[in-house]
Amino acid sequence: MKKYIGKRLLQLIPILIGITLLTFILMNTSSTDAIDIMEQNTGGSWTEAQKEAARAALGLDKPLPIQYINWLGDVLTGDMGESYISGQPVFLTFMEKLPATVYLTITSILLTILISIPFGILSAVRQNKFLDYLIRFFSFIGNSLPNFFVALLLILFFSLKLGWLPVMGSSEGFKSVILPTLTLAIAMSSKYTRQVRATVLEEMNKDYVLGARARGIRENRILYFNVLKASMLSIVTLLALSIGSLLGGTAIVESIFMWDGVGKLAVDAILTRDYPIIQAYVIWMALIYVLVNLATDIIYHYLDPRIRLGEGMK
Amino acid sequence: MTEKTITIREQKVHKDYTKVKLIILLILLGLLLLAAAFASKVSPFDPYEQDLGSALQEPGDAHIFGTDRYGRDMLSRVIMGSQTTIFSALLLVCIITVVGTVVGIFCGYYGGKLDAVLMRISDIFLAFPGMVFAIAVAGVLSGGLSNAVVALACISWPKFARLARSQVMTVKDAPYIAAAKLAGSGTVKIMIKHILPNIAGAIIVTAVLDIGTMIMELAGLSFLGLGATPPTAEWGSMMSNGRSMLQTCPWVVLAPGFAIFITVVLFNLLGDTVRDVLDPRNSASH
Amino acid sequence: MKNKWMKKTGLLLLALVMTSGLLMGCGSSSEKSTATDSSAANGEKVFYYGDTTFNAENEEADVNPHNTYAGWACIRYGIGETLFKYSDTMELEPWLATEYENADANTWVVTLRDGVTFTSGRAMDAAAVKECLDDLVASHERAAGDLKIKEITAEGQKLTITTTEPVPALMNYLSDPYGCIIDMEAGITPEGNVTGTGPYIATKIETDKGLTLVKNENYWDGTPKLDTIYVQTISDGDTMTMAMQSGELDAAYGLPYASLPLFQVEPYSISSCETSRSFFAQINYANTALQDGKVRKAIASAIDKENFTKVLLDGNGSAAVGPFPASFAFGDETVTAESYDPEAAKTLLEEAGWTDTDKDGYVDKDGEKLTIRWATYPSRQELPLLAESVQATLKDIGIDVQVNCTASVGDVVDSGDWDIYAGAFVSAPTGDPEYFFTTHCLDNSSKNRGGYHSDALEALEAQMAATFDAEIRASLATQMTQTILDDNSFIFASHLKMSIVSGEGVTGLEAHPSDYYEITAELDKN
Repeated sequence: MKKYIGKRLLQLIPILIGITLLTFILMNTSSTDAIDIMEQNTGGSWTEAQKEAARAALGLDKPLPIQYINWLGDVLTGDMGESYISGQPVFLTFMEKLPATVYLTITSILLTILISIPFGILSAVRQNKFLDYLIRFFSFIGNSLPNFFVALLLILFFSLKLGWLPVMGSSEGFKSVILPTLTLAIAMSSKYTRQVRATVLEEMNKDYVLGARARGIRENRILYFNVLKASMLSIVTLLALSIGSLLGGTAIVESIFMWDGVGKLAVDAILTRDYPIIQAYVIWMALIYVLVNLATDIIYHYLDPRIRLGEGMK
Repeated sequence: MTEKTITIREQKVHKDYTKVKLIILLILLGLLLLAAAFASKVSPFDPYEQDLGSALQEPGDAHIFGTDRYGRDMLSRVIMGSQTTIFSALLLVCIITVVGTVVGIFCGYYGGKLDAVLMRISDIFLAFPGMVFAIAVAGVLSGGLSNAVVALACISWPKFARLARSQVMTVKDAPYIAAAKLAGSGTVKIMIKHILPNIAGAIIVTAVLDIGTMIMELAGLSFLGLGATPPTAEWGSMMSNGRSMLQTCPWVVLAPGFAIFITVVLFNLLGDTVRDVLDPRNSASH
Repeated sequence: MKNKWMKKTGLLLLALVMTSGLLMGCGSSSEKSTATDSSAANGEKVFYYGDTTFNAENEEADVNPHNTYAGWACIRYGIGETLFKYSDTMELEPWLATEYENADANTWVVTLRDGVTFTSGRAMDAAAVKECLDDLVASHERAAGDLKIKEITAEGQKLTITTTEPVPALMNYLSDPYGCIIDMEAGITPEGNVTGTGPYIATKIETDKGLTLVKNENYWDGTPKLDTIYVQTISDGDTMTMAMQSGELDAAYGLPYASLPLFQVEPYSISSCETSRSFFAQINYANTALQDGKVRKAIASAIDKENFTKVLLDGNGSAAVGPFPASFAFGDETVTAESYDPEAAKTLLEEAGWTDTDKDGYVDKDGEKLTIRWATYPSRQELPLLAESVQATLKDIGIDVQVNCTASVGDVVDSGDWDIYAGAFVSAPTGDPEYFFTTHCLDNSSKNRGGYHSDALEALEAQMAATFDAEIRASLATQMTQTILDDNSFIFASHLKMSIVSGEGVTGLEAHPSDYYEITAELDKN
């Protein structure tokens, strides 16, 4: 097991280098010069000499590979520069907004679990019955609606027509998290209800279930003690892996609901061309995603008897 | 609870049903694509012609979907938007499928260093959570629909590369490949004549299932202002620009919104059906 | 068997939650403001105000008047006050100062009001004002350029200001938001908070997010009626609309025009007024086609200002002639410009040699199509609308307009890849006309983006700079405006009508033509 974790951590290194390198290249392909943006934001007009000085101070006069290494060193020490617009340290700004996004991500995942697992199982158990068709119909609809459309419809209905829930995030505590969570969870649950159903069905068609049935064991007992148990591990893993799509998907939802997280921060930064913020957003989201995936993988590896057995035989 | 005892007749009925569904879907989508392709001929009005005198008219006889704040006919703009949105999404899916498949086949077939390097690169792209990287790319390239397509292509090709590679690995040691090699077929010929047909099913299924997602993601980028820019008729950007009128003139938002929804539904249905036809093993829904 | 399975799944879930928890731990825990209900329960009056402008992008990162345009926030939220304030007709009225007199062209004597104290407790006397203004001139480039102050002397409540050259509009300039008087002894905090004399005190400042204001118990001019005001920066106008409707906000500034009709019903009330914020287009003389006066005139005749204002802005504004609205003595009624006449525009283009020879719908000359690169930015909702409208009306006369609407429009202007720049500008923030010309139209103007030059205008400005009499200044301003309009170097589309929407029970919130008096001691919620 230790060996496996070590191996996975080693594999992480080239990926991390890749992520930072790609981000660095991306930011350097932008047509706008950082110095020009700084000049513009100070409101003054700089002389060429002043520009050169600013360039030298930021190390922008050095060759690109050196710039990358310097920049990487800064990133690793948590120094990601300052925002072109506000002048605040980027790392602090980002970290300040991160909890809101993580909070939204967790509530969305929890809601997704609450919706997709029961409905997915129900749908599998009642395969090709009315309930199954109904659940599949709704999951299909949910899967075909873009989240910004869902958000607008939810606001129109719950906030304006009924007046139950606030439109803006972070103003009314728990109440304000409901609509953004629902928006994110509708798309996710639609997808996962289908997957849960598929997983459970696959398990139900396995030989041991047939065997159990043949031995006259009651259907419910088979379902709860064998089928669900066997499917649950892969379902939960699937959900954990979906964190990635959620982390990206929050940007639109955060912008619509004025949820003060990193997604909104990034979208705002793009509109004002605040590149250091975008950079921090890309790197940190990738890092979080990679780490969550790694953790899921390791735990799955640890928990799944088949995989462990396979390793032991080596 | 007797799924296992499906009779042959039932299977046949099911197969016919799937076929009929496929045909109906293809006809519907064909019509949609035709309308999109000849948008400027089909539209009752010029989608870019402003007439401030008849701005924000409710849906009615003259304008079935009403008009927007510039007095432009919404129906014409939705039709024109289908061209922009659907063809961009199709182009995007084509790019990522072709690039991903070619990379995947080479990696799977040759293995070794090339494989290792390309797979590491695809790992890196896969390490970015979906839209995060797309948003950044679109932002840095400063908007525009073509840049949005590039942004989404960047993050989406590795999926196809992985899929193609794994498929190639399962067939490359098959006897018929060895036979082809013995018969003196060139590598490229083997790839095209023997490997590609065998892995095409899974790839096509994935590609078709991806169209709907890509339509939504492209529209999402446009909604954020990172894709199509006004006055281009594009569904996401039309919705974004009409947002402030959601309550006063809802048709401005709902018309493109439902256009996206219906299009995505059709493509998703097609994806499911194609999967039932080409790749029955994975279609656990039946 | 069952237990083991439960344990495993539970462990996986737990690990997930812990990973997320770890991630959350990384950031400083930002508390959600749940204070709302608790303070309301104490019988205190709490007010929620939505605003679009308090953010770094808008150069209002904090409330320190000596920092870029942050003085606007300082004065708008009732934190700071200036020596004089503007009436509804933009004339000076006493505020922190009661009167002023000119000893000579370069010397001004200002009498300060007695009995005003800063929220730090310090009395506002001439010495305090001198400290503040000295710091302003030292740290604020634009203010230093406007004021041209040589020396300030303080004696009791008497402030004597000497300028290096005659500055006829000195008192107007000092009434600009940057002239908010703050206590320099109390200083400027790292967050950019200041100590002023206004009815409210800022206690918490969060750039791009908002600020918290509490009542100044010792306010010199009446008792503020609200205990706490939460100002929330909501950059998205649509979200703000819905927040206003759902009652999350008591009042809002900067709502999209399209949503104003929603608030023309009970219990809302809208306070509107014309401002001198003008939306205008500026010609780039580097473009050879645009150097032709006939082409410029054709473009000016092909912009449908009336319908732009009436339909696209939903009547929230007035079609403009020149930079100043009709309420000014030197305003729109004193000048003339091209009116919308596409046929005349076509004729002008033909006269200038531009005809559609290849029948592609666009005019051409020497094989070149007439294409205009229209540079503008999205943060003012009117500008993208203007761009799209112009694109359509200019297409009618055969000119191809390519819109480049970006937040980084400054880069575009710097690069020279533009033909017409469209922007918004408060043309007379101090009620005086000279400002617009010195910033935009002269050889040495920083915002003369298109390299416009007029001998006549330079001569008029030389006169203006030496004239103190308001009536003569007004007549000079009229002549100057007519000069730039005759040249069609600037095309003015409309003047902003700004609106503040108040919710149920809110009183005392009035829109002001200056666009920067909002929260006052009168503001109340019942």
